[in-house]
Amino acid sequence: MLTIILLTFKEIVRRRILLVTVILAAVFLALYGAAVHYGYQEMSRGAGPLKALIAPQFLALGLYFGSFIISFLAVMAAVGTISSEIENGIMHAIVPGPVRRSTIILGKFCGYSLMLTVFAALFYIAVLLIVHYNTGLDIPVKAAAAGLFCLQPLILLAVAMLGSTFLSTLANGIAAFMLYSVGVVGGMLEQIGYLAGSNMMVNIGIASSLLMPADAVYRKIVYSLLSVPGASLSMTMLGPFGSGAEPSVWMLAYAACYILGFLLLALRIFSKKDI
Amino acid sequence: MILETENLTKMYGAKAACSKICLSVNEGQIFGFLGPNGAGKSTLVKMLVGLLFPTSGTARILGRPLGDLGARRKIGYLPENFRYQDWLTGEELLSFHASLRGMSGTERKRRVPAVLEQVGLAGKEKQKVGAYSKGMQQRVGLACALLHDPALLFLDEPASALDPLGRREVREIMLELRGSGKTIFLNSHLLSEVEMICDRVAIINKGKIVAGGTLDELLAQTVEVEMQAEGLTRPALAELAALSKKIAVEGRYVNVVLEHSGQIPALAEAVVKNGGRLYSLGAKHNSLEDLFVDLIQRGDH
Repeated sequence: MLTIILLTFKEIVRRRILLVTVILAAVFLALYGAAVHYGYQEMSRGAGPLKALIAPQFLALGLYFGSFIISFLAVMAAVGTISSEIENGIMHAIVPGPVRRSTIILGKFCGYSLMLTVFAALFYIAVLLIVHYNTGLDIPVKAAAAGLFCLQPLILLAVAMLGSTFLSTLANGIAAFMLYSVGVVGGMLEQIGYLAGSNMMVNIGIASSLLMPADAVYRKIVYSLLSVPGASLSMTMLGPFGSGAEPSVWMLAYAACYILGFLLLALRIFSKKDI
Repeated sequence: MILETENLTKMYGAKAACSKICLSVNEGQIFGFLGPNGAGKSTLVKMLVGLLFPTSGTARILGRPLGDLGARRKIGYLPENFRYQDWLTGEELLSFHASLRGMSGTERKRRVPAVLEQVGLAGKEKQKVGAYSKGMQQRVGLACALLHDPALLFLDEPASALDPLGRREVREIMLELRGSGKTIFLNSHLLSEVEMICDRVAIINKGKIVAGGTLDELLAQTVEVEMQAEGLTRPALAELAALSKKIAVEGRYVNVVLEHSGQIPALAEAVVKNGGRLYSLGAKHNSLEDLFVDLIQRGDH
């Protein structure tokens, strides 16, 4: 499996996936840093006691769009990992070798996972540092929150890998983004539901989290970093980027099972696939 | 037998890409597998190397069932429509395949330059595969297939992208491999090439094997004879028609197809006995191409 993992790394570097990702992430972080710096200065001027509510909003925005970028990267990296290699004939030279088909899937998943985890961890640290140094916000150091930030792209990675075993690259890309959008829109609806007191909207949000749990993981991160015990206002102020109710630990277990389930399904489909 | 298939079948819906294929290949031979486009040649090879799963039937490769990892360690495969990772150099590609096959570092260092030399890519190993010409890509594909010194090699149209010189080199590599006891299963459209190097041949059409055996056996199946004769009476023509599988008469020229060359004296006798005058009689050498075209046309009608 190490051979496949190393090849996946090499592919990420050689095909300039890493370079483009790092450049775009740097551009995003530079813009985000500028926005936090100047935005906070402007908005906090004369804000008085409400000043304390501005910095968390910047942090939530950074984490929200950071999650989006990393999930996007996961889909883009893995969307054609099996299908395109079957379409262009690369797989024809690998599968007949003395390697189990499951090893190919697992090797690719591990390779991309490692890359995404390192990237997400660095991104998370960068966002926290930018907010802390520009606003002075004391952000609790929570390894669990960092871990969850790294877990998000793996959900999309598992979805894209499964799709790649039976859909064309284009169809898989569309399907993965649609599914991600369902999670994002559902998450927004859920938060608006909490603010508006609409149970129906909250339930739609919960159902969408079952279809795509990435957004629920984001809500958990935000809640664990920004909630103030006994002050529900802290989350309400974040609007659709906040977390009206803390997603339960069962939701996280569901997210982990979701990744595992999609991966097992990908293994099963690929192991029986005619190439 | 290094390779044996028994009623190997692959169905796509109601259509049989391969139907009840029974083949056996002896060790140390070059086995030619022929057929027109879409006949099922590549489907069979893909089943044998584990890319496709048979609908029914069985096969044993090196005494092991299909898909056995131990057997796959000893087979090499050059696919027909393939592409390698164009972002790797030739050397990196071979190192990856060596690693995939569990070759040790020492073995890799020994084998990679050796196969690059063998396929004529020595000195080009630092170039990216994406910068290789089609012929060079075919050669690097062959190098990947040969890398681990396989006992059984499946080559699907190995010379399709090569110029005449390249084809000759590939032919020489195949003969060398046979000389060292390797077995080659060769899918090819190039009938002349198959005729030159293959020990045994099977022809597939519409998913079914329509002929098989050594080249001598196959080519001895029919003999075409051209005669020049005059005064051929009705009984003479009737006797000639009875002897032959096919007869065509145009003036004094008579063209007949016989089942075997032992019937040639009877032809002459039929002409003379019935009052005809025989001026010339010659057996035409039947080529694999003639046989191939004949079999495929028969199958199409």
